[in-house]
Amino acid sequence: MLIPASGTGQYLAKSAKIIRFARKGCANRPFFHIVVTEVKRDQTDPVIEQVGTFDPLPNEYNEKLCSLNFERIKHWIGNGATVSRPVQELLGLSGFFPIHPRTYMQAWRNRRSQAEAESKNVESESIQENKV
Amino acid sequence: MLRIMNSLKTMSLEISANTPASTNINSIRWRRNPRKPIWKGTAKSKIFRVPPRTVIPQEEADEIKRLYNKYKTEMKTITRFFTSKYNIENQQKDDQDLNKKEFESDLEACMKLNDEWNAKQKVEREASAAVELEKSIQLAKERRKITEERRQQRLNEAEEIVRREKVFAKDFISPEMLDAAIEKALANPVDHNFALDLEGNKIVGYETPPLPKETASLKQ
Repeated sequence: MLIPASGTGQYLAKSAKIIRFARKGCANRPFFHIVVTEVKRDQTDPVIEQVGTFDPLPNEYNEKLCSLNFERIKHWIGNGATVSRPVQELLGLSGFFPIHPRTYMQAWRNRRSQAEAESKNVESESIQENKV
Repeated sequence: MLRIMNSLKTMSLEISANTPASTNINSIRWRRNPRKPIWKGTAKSKIFRVPPRTVIPQEEADEIKRLYNKYKTEMKTITRFFTSKYNIENQQKDDQDLNKKEFESDLEACMKLNDEWNAKQKVEREASAAVELEKSIQLAKERRKITEERRQQRLNEAEEIVRREKVFAKDFISPEMLDAAIEKALANPVDHNFALDLEGNKIVGYETPPLPKETASLKQ
């Protein structure tokens, strides 16, 4: 049976809550719900509330679509829910939080590897030219 | 040394003294949705694999630390702000105080207005009550008059009937006169079994002997 999007999960008032991804979709097709749950719950368990979605596969316009319910996120953070790192990164990119350090690290590492690949290409090309 | 054995069937932990030569620790997987069977340890080919240690340059490490410090500080402020604004406990406290004050001031204003209206209404009510009393007295008087008239009328009617009956009562047969009346009736039999001709003449004599002609030809 499908779980309704808005909260069938049983929870205690004082238990630790977290805003995190819950993997939906199927094999080779990830899709994430952004949900509020108790920390100790499994990701397949019923959730307290769904506050967004995230599609990690880019669509035909090279977009990764993401939806967020900021009002409810504010409410849950205000009432003591923590946020998992991937969701923090997403909220950082959406402008709700400051940009997460991981995002910066990812960016500069990507840039570095790209530069290295380019320099390798240049070297290989120059070697080939010399041979010719 | 201790030898730790994990008995999967009974799920109990056995601890027994042993020699160092047979020291053996078996680790098992423990996940909710295991990718591999729960009883399989590390793959044979991976037992002695030592993953290369990631080396982060000092400069980069410093930068990461700086970024994380900044991020944590900002997150703390944001969380605190959300807590102050959206936490249910805070909101309830604030609301209660505010509500109480608002309610009291509102109640005071309402009571004042209510008293004013009551005073105004009292004057109006008394005036209208006096008018209504006057009206109802008038109405009662009128009704009384009408009732009197009706009673009088009924009395008159009754008296009329009595008077009429008294006139008829002269012919009534009283107990004293009963014998005489019976004798008189027996002496003068009346024949109702008669016929009429076209001119309205009464023709008697069906059962009784016919009367003399002078009395029989009486017109009705």
